[in-house]
Amino acid sequence: MVDFLDELEACVPALRRYARALTRNIDHADDLVQDCLERAISRRGLFRPSGPMRPWLFTILVNLHRNARRSEQRRGPHLDADSLPELGTPAPQHSHLALAELSRAIDGLPLEQKETLLLVTLEGMAYAEAASILDIPLGTLMSRLGRARANLRLSTGETQEPHLRSVK
Amino acid sequence: MMDVTRDTLMAYLDGQLDGDASAAVDAWLADNPDAAIELAQLQRQNEAINTLFGPVASEPVPPRLNPHRLALAQSRRRWQGAARAAMIVGVLGIGIAAGWLLRPVTDTPALYNRLIADAVSAHTVFVAENRHAVEVAGTETDHLTSWLSNRLGTGLAMPDLATAGLSFLGGRLLPAPAIPGGRAAQLMYEDSAGERVTLYITPSAGIDGPNLELVRLGSDNALYWASATITCTIVGPQSAETLQAIADSVFAQLTPAATAPAYREL
Repeated sequence: MVDFLDELEACVPALRRYARALTRNIDHADDLVQDCLERAISRRGLFRPSGPMRPWLFTILVNLHRNARRSEQRRGPHLDADSLPELGTPAPQHSHLALAELSRAIDGLPLEQKETLLLVTLEGMAYAEAASILDIPLGTLMSRLGRARANLRLSTGETQEPHLRSVK
Repeated sequence: MMDVTRDTLMAYLDGQLDGDASAAVDAWLADNPDAAIELAQLQRQNEAINTLFGPVASEPVPPRLNPHRLALAQSRRRWQGAARAAMIVGVLGIGIAAGWLLRPVTDTPALYNRLIADAVSAHTVFVAENRHAVEVAGTETDHLTSWLSNRLGTGLAMPDLATAGLSFLGGRLLPAPAIPGGRAAQLMYEDSAGERVTLYITPSAGIDGPNLELVRLGSDNALYWASATITCTIVGPQSAETLQAIADSVFAQLTPAATAPAYREL
């Protein structure tokens, strides 16, 4: 029991990071994580597969987020002043402007591409693990990942011939 | 030259190739500068995503996301739910028990309570009369005795309460629809100050209730008692002690054949 909760606690930072990237809103993200943890605690031993905890938690989180999105769409979109991304200190090669642009571009991705891209790039999940969390075949995962990356390059204007830009 | 697919490049980018495969892609990229540049772009994209959201994982976690707290709150809620359910069951149980216990009182008042109420009503109506306070005057004791004994179907004697300072005015027959015989007798007495006392007498067959009960109704006290053959309710403005003393005397004379009630033996 205590082991279970400790293990859960170790996953909280990653869950918050993923939820924040999905929602771009600190309160919505933490609400999502809290829902996820409460569900995990109340279902412990009932539905938890015998495998590691992290993929199980991410599966719950992804499903909760999809449900929330669905009910939000039924209620109609709402604009939130808090939904601007919380920017960390940018690495030297990334300007704030470029990061903000990327953040908007991620937000504009179809949900299935965004879920996939973030699991792999932000959470460093193995493809097989990410595919099982999203409950899709590996091939579907790969094509979603490819489309997500191409879309991002398109909307951040990086599809021009790269060597022309590097010469300038 | 090996065949490098887009999927392989992506796996290389995401660090999902083992050492040998990764080295092979390195070698391939050296001969394919365009692919290398594109890959570098995607690499920067990955880094940018991690720059955007990576720092969230090192933020302090708000207390509401502490699993230990959440587990505690959840079990507390579960206990509260159980306690609330238990409380509802308890309250329902009390309600049902109370309903059951109060049922005789709320549904139909016990017969003896109606007799007391009727006795007080009759008292109130007839003590206010002067010329028509009684139907048969107290001077005709023998006639009253045989008449009322016949109508009530039980032997009655007219008590003499002179020792208690009460003179006998007389008596009357009253309807009593609530009880099996349907008839009651009222005897009226008066003290020297003009205060009147009535005895309301019925046969006791079919009447359940206590042997003795004192009730205060308005300005009058009513003392009810029952024996094996009759019930008698004494009504008057006198104190409970005075009525009790009168009752002792009445009982001894009213039904000479009956045994004394239990309370006299105590």
